[in-house]
Amino acid sequence: MADVHPLQVMELSKRFPRKRGLGSVQAVSSISFDVRQGEIVGFIGHNGAGKTTTIKCILGLLKASEGKISLWGSAPADSDVRKRIGYIPESPDYDDSFTPMEYLSMFASMRGLSGKDTDWMKLLKRTGLARWETTRIRQFSKGMKQRMSLAVALQSNPDLLIMDEPTGGLDPIARKEFRDIIIEENKRGTSVFLSSHILSDVETICNRAVILAGGKLVAEGSLKELLGGEKLYRITVISRRTGEEVEEIMPEADLQSRIDSLRKDNLPIVKVEMALKSLEDVFLSATGGEEQ
Amino acid sequence: MKAVFTFSLMTLRMLFRRRTLWGILLVILLALAGIASVPSFDVSNQGRFILDFGLFGIEVGALLLALGLAANLYPRDRETGTLMPLIAVPLSRWQYLLGRFFGAALVQAAALIVTCLGLMLILLFHRLPIPGDLLPATLLIIVEGWFLLSTVFFFSFFASPPLNWPLTTMLFIVSQMSVSEFVSAMPSAPGLMRAVRLLLPHADVFHIKDPIAHGFEIEPVYFLIAVFYGLCYSAFMLSLALAVFRGRDLK
Repeated sequence: MADVHPLQVMELSKRFPRKRGLGSVQAVSSISFDVRQGEIVGFIGHNGAGKTTTIKCILGLLKASEGKISLWGSAPADSDVRKRIGYIPESPDYDDSFTPMEYLSMFASMRGLSGKDTDWMKLLKRTGLARWETTRIRQFSKGMKQRMSLAVALQSNPDLLIMDEPTGGLDPIARKEFRDIIIEENKRGTSVFLSSHILSDVETICNRAVILAGGKLVAEGSLKELLGGEKLYRITVISRRTGEEVEEIMPEADLQSRIDSLRKDNLPIVKVEMALKSLEDVFLSATGGEEQ
Repeated sequence: MKAVFTFSLMTLRMLFRRRTLWGILLVILLALAGIASVPSFDVSNQGRFILDFGLFGIEVGALLLALGLAANLYPRDRETGTLMPLIAVPLSRWQYLLGRFFGAALVQAAALIVTCLGLMLILLFHRLPIPGDLLPATLLIIVEGWFLLSTVFFFSFFASPPLNWPLTTMLFIVSQMSVSEFVSAMPSAPGLMRAVRLLLPHADVFHIKDPIAHGFEIEPVYFLIAVFYGLCYSAFMLSLALAVFRGRDLK
């Protein structure tokens, strides 16, 4: 039997009609990628690149205009495959008159889980919410709601975790705890699809990355491939306007022409050195460095 | 169906914890007390007066409860982001709709029973007899309330809450009109008006307050047909609501 990946996105496109009814806006344009069993895949892109739209298409919240999405070979609407997913939305919120414990119990019942209150208490402890077990969600900060969404997502021991900017509202310590939990879950066998623009998080925990810009897939590969594929150089020059040193990073192919142009402009070059590539460099280079 | 049941209970608990329910309930009970305190010109008619206006008050209460409880449910879920984790994983769209509807319907029914008990207390306070058909009359108002609730749900998928209120109220008023009253609004096209009226709901079937107030007996068959009609129309409105909801992109 051929390998069935937890998530396969094939030629996905999504268009939204314009508000006045004239034409449409292309949010995602013919993107294809997959998340294989046991992988942590980072989904990177600037604001408005189409990350959340793609995730909502995967979850069936948005209808794809074209293309196909498969979760373990089935359509996203299949209730059996949905049971295997944990989802953390970008701005999670819950009926605020409930306590986390009440919410987890009801969510478990809706999902047909057989856990008990002691299991949910352990989960609250794991996600750092044990102290607020009986506090109404309306009193929660954004970070606490994100912890709550992590607890809800982990409740069913999912086989695939889909996370949309999960660490956006968290402080550095909470982000580290979040990352640790993701790694623990991954060790348990969970595949992870992590959308983020905190590139250091992606660089720390992901095996692969998919980079999106302007709704199009501009780069995809293992971090090793992405970070080591092309040589980068850093040129340091003295700015004529401020008199301070300014650095530019560029691929090897552009290096000579840039040096020539700096010489032509009589700008003093302080040094040229090989730059160690970070995911940020790859991202800036792939997306052209600007929001599209 | 377990997911729908749990989500209904969740909705029920949430609505009981909101102030809207208690505010509307208080308004209805105060209105009933107000009706009972209006002096009747003819003392022998006081019971009929209290019953007639009391049941009318409960019926308007059903409309207020439907709007107050449900007009903001879906828009609020969307606006706050509560909807996403629900629809993305544990619930499908029809389960969400039915769960919210059943939860709100139970709360509305409980509130209407309380108002009926309030009306009974007022009758007892005035040493007036409690007619045996008061409970069936309230039950029909509850069914009418569910029909109104399903209408509110339907409108809530494409209209904001401030627009939902006039739309549902208009449908409530039109549904009370007889065919002749409706045709008289546009006498130049009687055939068209008759056809339109036929399609629109007939909430007049739920009104047995006049016969009760005048001491007439209600045929059980009539009662059953009215309940059946109300439930079928509610199911029809919910199907329309689901069709709209299914076509929605949840951005």
